[in-house]
Amino acid sequence: MSADFEPNIVAFLCNWCSYAGADLAGTSRVNYPSNIQIIRVMCSGRVNPLYVVNALQQGADGVLVSGCHPGDCHYMEGNYYARRRLGMLKDLMEFVGVDPKRFHMSWVSASEGHKWKEVVEKTVEDAKEAGPFEGFRRRQIDW
Amino acid sequence: MDLEQLRKTAAEVASREDVKYLVGWKPGTYGYRVAPAFIENADGAAELIFSPLCTANLATYLTLVEELPVPRGQEPDDRKIALMVKGCDSRAVTQLLVEKGIERDEVVIIGCPCPGMIDDCLLAEKYPETEEPAEVKWDGEDFLLIRGGEETKVARDEVLAEKCRLCRYPNPVVSDITLGEEVETWELGEDQGVKEIEGKGVDERAEYWAEQFDKCVRCYSCRNVCPLCYCQDCILDRLNPTWVNRSVNFSENTAFNIARAFHLAGRCIECGECERVCPANIPLGKLNRKLAREVRDKYGFEPGVDPDAEPFQASFKPDDPEDFIL
Repeated sequence: MSADFEPNIVAFLCNWCSYAGADLAGTSRVNYPSNIQIIRVMCSGRVNPLYVVNALQQGADGVLVSGCHPGDCHYMEGNYYARRRLGMLKDLMEFVGVDPKRFHMSWVSASEGHKWKEVVEKTVEDAKEAGPFEGFRRRQIDW
Repeated sequence: MDLEQLRKTAAEVASREDVKYLVGWKPGTYGYRVAPAFIENADGAAELIFSPLCTANLATYLTLVEELPVPRGQEPDDRKIALMVKGCDSRAVTQLLVEKGIERDEVVIIGCPCPGMIDDCLLAEKYPETEEPAEVKWDGEDFLLIRGGEETKVARDEVLAEKCRLCRYPNPVVSDITLGEEVETWELGEDQGVKEIEGKGVDERAEYWAEQFDKCVRCYSCRNVCPLCYCQDCILDRLNPTWVNRSVNFSENTAFNIARAFHLAGRCIECGECERVCPANIPLGKLNRKLAREVRDKYGFEPGVDPDAEPFQASFKPDDPEDFIL
């Protein structure tokens, strides 16, 4: 893979913590890689594991799901469900041969702008190491 | 197991007033085939069998049955359905109870302790299938193949189905009537199939599964036969939103297979039906067993054992493992 590969990363952020945390990183003028495309969801528990699969199909090189710390969920327990489901998904994807570096999950609270920066840096770095995702990405079909 | 006892019990149950019909196994039309039998009265019970070829999981007929709207002025038929189950099938029933797919008072469960089933493909490799109906019996540790008046002894290790090698519940975990003696659990081999794939690197694994998923023709047999795939509105049939495109190519096949396996995480009871019916011979059992093992080891959860348990993916523990979280 080329050294100047810039991965596309889809990030699902929960409205109440991680999205606000990313917002704080922005207002605090924290510099972090711009490879991330943020999709705001109301809760990390709302992230259907198939979103992750679908993002990879549609050309993402990495996926990040971020929510509130355990116990801090706006909806009391959404992130606990997310942790269980996405943990299983990570095991399954690893088993079918998707590099575990392509999928990350993190807890970032609304006050953790700097943690958000670290998470993004780590995600981008891992996705760069893993290289462009060629696995089960949708190919353009020539009719 | 004593067939006389089985048929007698089945006749009694099928003739009960509160039982609509009884689902069991009967000999198929040729070779090693076994077909499901739906028995509505005592006479039909004479054709029932229970042999090492009765691999099929009949629990799927509990949810597969079409429920037609009841005409005005008529009462719905609320009678029970009687079902013959092996150990693994009974786990499917238990899991259905957990998920409220069925209610306990809707079924009469006839438990058949199971000393292990034959994989008919393995048997056909050694003793090619002919049109002549064949009978197989348990003979101590091994199997006895009876065909055309000839008796052949078949070693257990050669033909035992993979799911049975790894079976931990040969006796029904839930039943109203148990036929015959409980069998002793046997020593479990290691799950070589899963272990072998786990031993590979990520790229090798991707290559292996690419080869497998490429074969998929998307017939959805695995979904249809699965006793626990019973959503009335399945994401695979849905067009808006389209979760998985209908086109048959590697990308969509992989997405479908991941989705199928994932929807059974913490629910699969390892009856091996999906793998048995797969026309492309995709080792779906490996995916299921891998997930089942992760659920067991990491989350301490086993589906289909306790009817009062909470469904795995609809519950959580505050101390679930989170070592994968950044």
